[in-house]
Amino acid sequence: MAEQPYIGRKEKAPDRVAFVSGRAHFSSDFAFEGQLHAHIIRSPHAAAKIRSVDLSGALKVSGVKIAIDGAGAAEHLDPIPHHIDPIVFGGRTTDLFCLAQDHTRYFGEPVAVVVATDKRTAQYAASRVVVDYEPTASVTDADLALKDDAPLVVLGWDDNSIMQVPFCGGDAEAAFKDADHIVKTQVRVHRQATQPIETRTYNAIWDEGGQSITLYASAQNPHPMRFALAKTLRMPENRLRVIAPSMGGAFGLKMHSHPEEALICLLAKLTKGAVKWTENREECLLIGGREQTHDIEFALREDGRILAIRDHFLANAGAPGATPGWGMAFLTGLTMPGPYDVGNLDVWANIVVTNKPPWSACRGFGKEITALALELCMDKAARELGLDPVEIRNRNFISSNDFPKKTATGLIYDSGDYAGALAKTVESIGYYDVKRNQEKWRGEGKYIGVGLGYEVTPEGGALPGTMVAGYDTSTVKVDPGGSVTILTGVTDPGGGNRIGIAQIVADELGVAIEAIRVLQGDTQTCPYGFGNYSGRSLIVGGGSAALAAQDIKEKIVKVAAALMEVEEGSIKIYRGVVTSSAKPESELSFNEVCYAAYTRAYDVAACIEQPLEATRTFKPGLISHLPDEQGKINPYPSYSNAAYAAVCEIDPGTGVVKLLKFAVTHDCGKAINPVLVEGQACGAVAFGIGGMMGEEIVFDEGGRQKTRNFEDYVMPRAADVPEIVMKHHDSPNPVTFMGLKGAGEAGVGGSAAAVVNAVNDALAHLGVEINDLPVTAPRIWSAIQKAQSAQKAAES
Amino acid sequence: MSLRVQYARPLNVDQTVALLGELSSGAVIIAGGQELMPFINYGRVSPSVLVDISGLKDLQNIETSDDGLSIGALTVHRDIQINPLINEIAPLLAHAALQIGGGRQVHNQGTIGGNIVAMHPLYDIIPALLVLDAEIEITSQQGSRIVSMADLINESNHKMGTHAVLTRVLIGNSPAGQGWGYEKLKITDGCYGSANAAATVCLAEDGQVQSVRLAIGAVTEKILNLSEDLATFLPASPDADLDSRIAGIVESAVEQPLSDQQGHGEYRRAMAGVVARKAFHQALDMARQDMALRERM
Repeated sequence: MAEQPYIGRKEKAPDRVAFVSGRAHFSSDFAFEGQLHAHIIRSPHAAAKIRSVDLSGALKVSGVKIAIDGAGAAEHLDPIPHHIDPIVFGGRTTDLFCLAQDHTRYFGEPVAVVVATDKRTAQYAASRVVVDYEPTASVTDADLALKDDAPLVVLGWDDNSIMQVPFCGGDAEAAFKDADHIVKTQVRVHRQATQPIETRTYNAIWDEGGQSITLYASAQNPHPMRFALAKTLRMPENRLRVIAPSMGGAFGLKMHSHPEEALICLLAKLTKGAVKWTENREECLLIGGREQTHDIEFALREDGRILAIRDHFLANAGAPGATPGWGMAFLTGLTMPGPYDVGNLDVWANIVVTNKPPWSACRGFGKEITALALELCMDKAARELGLDPVEIRNRNFISSNDFPKKTATGLIYDSGDYAGALAKTVESIGYYDVKRNQEKWRGEGKYIGVGLGYEVTPEGGALPGTMVAGYDTSTVKVDPGGSVTILTGVTDPGGGNRIGIAQIVADELGVAIEAIRVLQGDTQTCPYGFGNYSGRSLIVGGGSAALAAQDIKEKIVKVAAALMEVEEGSIKIYRGVVTSSAKPESELSFNEVCYAAYTRAYDVAACIEQPLEATRTFKPGLISHLPDEQGKINPYPSYSNAAYAAVCEIDPGTGVVKLLKFAVTHDCGKAINPVLVEGQACGAVAFGIGGMMGEEIVFDEGGRQKTRNFEDYVMPRAADVPEIVMKHHDSPNPVTFMGLKGAGEAGVGGSAAAVVNAVNDALAHLGVEINDLPVTAPRIWSAIQKAQSAQKAAES
Repeated sequence: MSLRVQYARPLNVDQTVALLGELSSGAVIIAGGQELMPFINYGRVSPSVLVDISGLKDLQNIETSDDGLSIGALTVHRDIQINPLINEIAPLLAHAALQIGGGRQVHNQGTIGGNIVAMHPLYDIIPALLVLDAEIEITSQQGSRIVSMADLINESNHKMGTHAVLTRVLIGNSPAGQGWGYEKLKITDGCYGSANAAATVCLAEDGQVQSVRLAIGAVTEKILNLSEDLATFLPASPDADLDSRIAGIVESAVEQPLSDQQGHGEYRRAMAGVVARKAFHQALDMARQDMALRERM
C-alpha cells in the first residue's frame, strides 16, 4: 500500500472560508439575463375540492409573464416519478402531479404558480389569484385515519394505509410465552423537519438553440433528479442538465421528486427564459418526517437477556409524496433489532397516509427511530428488572466475534464492537460518578440523570428497482502539467466530503493535496452518479476515486520507469517527487513524468494509452438483492454504529432541562478525515438534542400547520448543546475501500435516545417516565405535577 | 397589498409628524425594522409608504436631568445594555435589554421605541418599564404629550394612532435602596420566553417590605401590571406567606393564558408564579444588601 501522508489527517478544505462566509456560490446566488421569479400559491386547507382557479387577476398585473394552475400544468407535465415507489415494495401508489387538480390533500399543497419579472410582483400577483375551494373532511391523526369511517386521503384507495409490512423472524410468540418478564411501552415520536440553513432553490434556464434546460438546484442527487425531470417534462435526459452548486445543508430534504422541481423547469420552457424559485422558511417547514407511534415490548429472561421483540408501529407519513419520505418507516422496521442479538422478532409497520403535508427524507431515514424505540424500551426494561442500563445492553449486544451477522430481518452486519464502544462512552461521560452521586444530589434538590443510547446505522444503501444505488463512479484526470481533477458522482451537502476524497487520491497518486481539485454536482461533466445520501459519499465516491487513481498511477509508474530506465517495482512517488530505489541519486518530479506521458507517446510513453484519465466504479460487497429462502434481502454494505450518553439536570419547578455533558463513541470503520467525521457526529448530536427538546411541528384541528417559523420551531443554539466528548472506536468494514462505513447520517436517534433516557433517569425517583416525545419543559412539568398529585392521592 | 412602496426619509421630528399627518393609514414608520421587515417579507403587511425615521438624531440620545432619564426612541438595545447612565439610573432596563433574543445583530438594530409599539406580549422591555413607572412621550402635529407606560398598555393601538410617533422614554429616579429583579424563563436558549417577570422592592427601616412593583410578560396577550394588586397587603414581612400571596395574585391574574409552543396555558399560569417569585426575591435580596451596606456606613 502506498504511504498515506494525508489519510487520517485533519486536512482543511481550501474553500471553507468562502463556504461559511456565504461567498461560495449557492443555487440562489445565480442570476441570468431577464431572470424571472416564481411564486407558488398553496392550499390553505388540509382537504378541499378545487371548484375553480381564476388566474385572470394575476395575469393583468404588469410584469407577470405566466400563471398556471393544475389543469394547465398537466397539459405539459406527466406525473412525478416516485423516488421510491411503494408499489415496488408491495404497497399502494398513486399518481402525483406538480400542481393539485380538482382537489387538494394537504395544507400547503401547490395549487397554482405565477411568474413575474421580480419576486415582489410575483407575490403580489399571486394574491390576486382566486381559488374556489370547497373544504372536505380531513384526517391528520394516524389512528383516526385507520378507522372505518375515516375520510380517504387518496380517493380510490380502500383505506388510508400505504402498506402493512412485517419484519419478522424466529418464533416471537413462543418466546413471549416463555418469558420471565414482559416489558412494554408506547414510544410516540412527534413530527419534525430538517431545516438546512439554505432552503431549496430551483433556477431553470431554457436554451432555445439546444432546446434544452439547465437547472441550478439544491439537489443531493443531480443525475437521478435529471431522470425524474425528463419523465415529468416529457424530454430526453440529454436535453437536461442539472447543476448542484455549493449546498448549505441537505439532511435528506434535497433528495429529489419535490413538485417544484419539474414545475420550475416547465415555466422556463414556457417563458423561454430563466425562472427561479427559492423556498421560504414557512414552505421549508411544511416538509416533515419521523412521526411514528411504537407499541413496543420485550420478552425478557430473568437475567435481562431479551428473548424476543414485538413492535407494531404506525407511521403518519402525511399525504402521498414522490420524495422518498414514506420509505423511512420501512427502514425503521428493517433496522430492528439494532445492535441487539435477538432472533425472535415480531415487527409490523403500518405506514399511513393523512392530510398532513408529505414526508421527505430526514437524516437517519427511519433508522434513527429504530434506535429511539429500542433504547427507550431498553431503559424501561432496566428499571423494571432492576438492572443497570449498561449491564442490560452488554447482555444483549451482538458479540464482536459474531460478524458478519445476519439479523432476523435479513440484514448482514459487517463488523463492530458494540460493547467496546459503549464502554468508552461510559467512561467519557463519567457514568458511574453520576450514578454514585445521584441520591445525594436528589437530597440537595438537584435532579440529575444520565442516559445512554446506541444506534446502528446501515449505510450506503441500495434498493433494487430504484435510483437508490449502492455504487458510484469517479473520474480522475491528471493534466500534462501535473494537476489532478476528480469528477465524482457523489455530491457534497455542505459537510465537505470533497476534501476527504482529495486526501484519498493524494495518497494513492503520491501528490501534494494542493494539486487536487474535486468537482461535483454537474450532470454534464461528472460521471453518472447517485449523489449524496445514506452516508455513502466517501465509501463509494472515495472508493471509486481511489480505484481510478490506482489505474492512473500504474501508467505514471510505467512512464517514470521508462524515463529513469529502471524496473517499475523500484518506483516510488511521494508528495509529487518520483524516485527509484534502483537509482537513489536521481529523481523526477511528478509533473515532469505527466508531461512526458502526454508528449512522448511514441517513445518513453509508448508503454501506456493516453490520456492520464480513468473512470472507475466502486461497488461495495455484502449487498444482496437476491432474496434468501425467506425472501429477505440485504440492501446495505455497511453498518456504522455509535454509543451515546447524556447527563442532564432538570429544574423540577419549571421542567427546564439543562444538558450538562454529552459523549459519543463512533465506529465509522476508518476516519479519512477526523474533522469531517466529528463535524458530522456533532451535527447529529445537535439534531438529536433539538428534536427532543424544542423541535415539533403541530397542526390545528382543521389540519392547518401551526408551526410556520423559527419562533415556534425552535432549533438548538450553541448554549443548548453541552461539551461533547468524542472518541473513535473503529472496526474496519471488510468489504469497503479501506474499511469505511460511512459517517454522514448516523447519530440522530442514538443521541435523541440518550437525552430522553437521561431525563427519565433524572426523574425516576418521582415515578415519572416520558416516552411521549418531545421532552420539552412544559411536558416534563406536567408529568411531574401528575406524578406528585398521584403520590398525594396515594398518601391520603 | 400594494406593489410599489414609497419611501420617505424625514429629516426631523417635525417633518415626520407633518408627513404622517398627510398620509393615509397605509403609511408605516420604520426604525430598526426588526418587527416590520419580517412581516413585509412574508407579505403579511404591505405598507404604501415607509417613513424611515432611523436617521433622526434627536431620537438617538440618552439624557439625564434631576428628574431622571430621557431615552430617545431610536436608542438600540445594545446601547441600552451598555450605556453607563442607564446602568446607573435604571439598571433593570439594561438587564432586561440583555435578555432580548436574536443575538447581537438584533441588539444593534432593534430600537426601544419599536419594541414598545410592537406591544408584543413576549418582549422584554415593557415589563421593565412598567415596574420602573416609566412614561412615554408621544409626538404628533398637535404637539407632544406624556403617557404613563401603565396607561399605554391598557389602550388598543397604544394611544398613538397612525399620525403620531413615539419620541422618548422617560424614567424617573429610583427611590434610594430599591432593589430590582428580572427573571425570564426560556425552555431552550433559542426560545421566546414562556414567562418573564420584572420586579422592584423597597424595604422599610425595620426590614418590612414596603412596596413591590411587579409586571409579568409572556403569559397573557396583555402584559400584566400587578403593582397595584400587590399594594393592598403591604407593608408585610418578607416571609413564606408573602411569597404565596404574590404567587396567588399572579396566578389568579392570569385569566386567559397564552398557549403555544413555548408552553400550554396551565404551564404558563404556573410559570407566571415561578418567575414572579424569583424576580421578587432577586429584588428583595438586592434591597437587603443595599440596606446592610448603608447600615455599615
